[in-house]
Parts: sequence; structure tokens; C-alpha cells
Amino acid sequence: MSFFHKNCAINDIVFSLKNYYAWSYLSYFDLRLKYRRTFLGPWWVVLGIAISATAMCLLWSTIFNLDWKNYLTYLFSGFIIWMWISQQVIDAPDVFSGVASKYIRAYPNPPLFYVFRKCFLSFLLFLHHLPLIVLVVLFVNNGIEASVLYSLPLGLFLIFINAILFTVNVGMLSARYRDIDPLIKSLMPPMLLLTPVLWKPEMLGEYAHFIYFNPFTYFVGIIRNDLIGLDFDMVIWIGTLIITFFQIFIFFFLYSKKSKRIVFWV
Amino acid sequence: MQSQIILKNVCLDFPVYDAVSLSFRNKVSNMGKVIVTRTTKNNSGGKIIKGLRDINYIFNHGDKVALLGHNGSGKTTLLKLLAGIYAPTSGSIQKTGETNCMLDIGFGFEQDATGYENIILSNITRGLTKEQVDKILPEIVEFCGLGEFLNMPLRTYSSGMQARLAFSSAIANTPGILLIDEFFSTGDIEFSKKSKKKVLEMMSNSSILVFASHDLSLLKSICNKAICMQNGKVIYSGETSEAIEYYKGIYEK
Repeated sequence: MSFFHKNCAINDIVFSLKNYYAWSYLSYFDLRLKYRRTFLGPWWVVLGIAISATAMCLLWSTIFNLDWKNYLTYLFSGFIIWMWISQQVIDAPDVFSGVASKYIRAYPNPPLFYVFRKCFLSFLLFLHHLPLIVLVVLFVNNGIEASVLYSLPLGLFLIFINAILFTVNVGMLSARYRDIDPLIKSLMPPMLLLTPVLWKPEMLGEYAHFIYFNPFTYFVGIIRNDLIGLDFDMVIWIGTLIITFFQIFIFFFLYSKKSKRIVFWV
Repeated sequence: MQSQIILKNVCLDFPVYDAVSLSFRNKVSNMGKVIVTRTTKNNSGGKIIKGLRDINYIFNHGDKVALLGHNGSGKTTLLKLLAGIYAPTSGSIQKTGETNCMLDIGFGFEQDATGYENIILSNITRGLTKEQVDKILPEIVEFCGLGEFLNMPLRTYSSGMQARLAFSSAIANTPGILLIDEFFSTGDIEFSKKSKKKVLEMMSNSSILVFASHDLSLLKSICNKAICMQNGKVIYSGETSEAIEYYKGIYEK
């Protein structure tokens, strides 16, 4: 029992979950504030994706001699999911040292609280973009698999949990060591090319299994595969779970030890 | 519920990271080297300031404690420790009771949001629900006296108006343990009179008050106990009037 009373990671998780109202309201407000004075708001991004993905689809399906219908759903879903995941990764380093630093120094909310606020904002944004995937799939495939009803919420949940764990872990490291931020920002653009977002694994031929060395493969795949009607891939789900447990381990290691130091780092 | 805060042998060290020590490259290149600087021990290339040293004190229910000391003596650090923003480096702190701190008021404001929205934002960050905020909103609106301007974005406010809004949106929390840092210089004469009255009211409702200020006559009229601090240490604690005499005595020497 004493572990549960003394461990600040657990205390902060409990606090953040109890105060779900506060961070969800704040995220929702951040979203509204971000798109204040625009007419289309978060759908501007949707429009942008729709335009570039359609153009890319026309071009690439011609170059690679692909069936454009099949490729269209693949590209749209991959692109939109990638936007969410990469935004999470890019935002992670300054979660504590950015805007939240003045909150952390002024009020005794646990740092984890601000991670929830930030991750939930990205999640809300993604929920605005998700209907576009569904629309494209419905239009092209004339239907959607029933299994999406449980695989999609489960996939979203797993990505959200991982986003929070990743943001805490990287946020703490980069609050202490300021090199992490530029490192991550320079790694993300090439990651887009290395992840099966724009291309399909089978295009790699005999090297196709190499995609499983890339953690982003799992997070893109876990929502996409079922949504666009690809075959069920057990490796994706197992891989995601392994990454989740790994991140939980790192989280407890770092946060229990160092969360009280964050206020001095930011 | 009876509020109480017990401090036992509390020490707090501040690591100071300059641009150099925050870099990972520096950490790698300094591996194995011993760096000697003026300020105490040093294992990561940063300096350490001793913020609080060996503080033992018990705040009991009903205590109104004044914090005395010149700038940099550790008053704000102690308040932030009591609030739970800082954790002690060594020693222990035990706290029972809800805390309301007015230390850096005005956090949680967004420049693009209106006055109304900022009142809601900052109070929700403090842990209130929207319904609770709606209940206290009329009081805050009346208190700040900004009228029409509450519908304008914060960036159009003057600094005095921002300070008014910051103070007003912090007042409505029901205090148990109340921690206040010096701040009475907000706004014009009329408003600072009003805010003083409000704070006095909040102070008398609090179960424990810890109040840092340089206004000795004000401290005398509010507080029943006082702590005198110097260089992060408690150098005197006792009755307010005696502590003030002691505090004055330091400077007359």
C-alpha cells in the first residue's frame, strides 16, 4: 500500500484523471481560440489535406501504375493519421518548457495535468479530421467494415495513451536537456518517408518486413488497416502493446524520480 | 476540518541551469571531470543555490503568520514550498487542508481570449468546474469593475487593467490555507483600497494564513505570529510585535 501512497506518479495520474473536466475544457478552449476569427476553423486543415492528397494520389498512382481507388483511401487515411502522430511528437519537447512553464511555476497542479491538456487538444483536432477518412472510404469502397466499431475506439485509445506517455517522457528529458527539441524536429520529416504512409509495404518487395522496425508503422497501422479494409495484422497490435508497456516502464522510472524537479528545469 | 502544516528539517536547493549546462553535449563532454564553482556541490555542471535551510515550523489551525525578511531571504520560496509547487530537497512537509495560493496571480490568461473567458480559464485551471465558475462570475465581474471591457480580448487591456482582472479572478476561491505574497500595488488608488479590503476579508476567513509583506503596520494588524527569515533560514519566530522589533533591530545595528 505504501507504494501507492508515496509514489508521486500514481498520485499525479489520479489527480489528472479526477480533474478530467479541467483539462478537457481547457483543450476545447485552446481549440476554439486557435481558430478564432477563421471561418472554416479546424476544417481548413482538412481542406488542405484533401487538396494535397488528391493531387498526390493522381500523380503517384500514375507514376507507380497503381489502382487509384485503392490508393486514394490508403493515402488519405495514412496522411491524416500521420498528421496527428507527428504533431504529437513535434509538440512533445516543449510541453513543460513552453507555455505551461509559467503555470508550473505559479500553481501546484502536477505537470502531468498540462500533458493531458496538450494531448487532448491534438486528439480533438484529429476527431475533426477523422470524418474525411470515413467519407473517402465510404465513397470509394461503398461501405465500411463492422469491426471498425471496436477496433477504431481501441486504436484511438492506445494512440492517446502512448501520446501522453511519450509527451511526458520526452517533455521531461527536453526540459532538462534542450537538445532534444531540435533533434526531434529534424528527425520527423524523414520519418514520414520511412513510414508506410505514402507507399505500401508490398512495394518494398523482399524488404517489406523492415517496416516493423519503425515504431510509427504500428501507430499508423492500428487505426488505418481496419478502417480501409486491409487484412487484420496481429503484429501491429502486439507491437503497439509492447511499445505501450515499454513507455509505461520509462514513465514510472522518470516521473517517479524526477517530476518534482521539472519546476526547476522550465 | 483542522488545517495544519508541519515542516521538519526542510532544505531546498535550487539548481541554476544556464544555457551551457542544459545542453546534452556539455554533459557528455564533462563526464568524469570535477568542476569547482563558488556555489557548493556540483555534479551536473550547474550551480546550486541554497534556497531554504533547515526549517522547522508548525503552522496550526487559526495561525496568521507574517513572513518578514529582505529581498532574497527566501519568503517566496517558502510560500511556494507550502503551496506544493516546490518539493523539499531534504526534510519533510505534512499538510492537511485545502490550499489557496495567491502567488503569481494572473497565470492561465490568454491574450486572445476576452476578459470573461480569462476569468473562466484561470479558475478552471485552479480546479473549479464551469458551474462553480458561473456561480462566482457575477461577484468577480462586479469586483473588477471593468464593465464593457470584459468582452474585449485581453491584449487590448492596459497593464493596470490586466492586474485588476488577475486579482479579481483569484479572489473567489474559498480559502482554507491561504498563502499570499506581497502584491498590494495593483491598480489605481480606488482599486487597491478595494482589493485590500477584500484580502482582509479572505484572510479572516482562512484557517491558516501565511502572508509575506514589507508593510509592517499591516502585518501587525492582521497576523498573530511572525517568522523572520535571512539567507533561507528562520532567524526568529514568535509573536508579531516582538518579531517586528527583532526585524527592525537587524537594520539598526
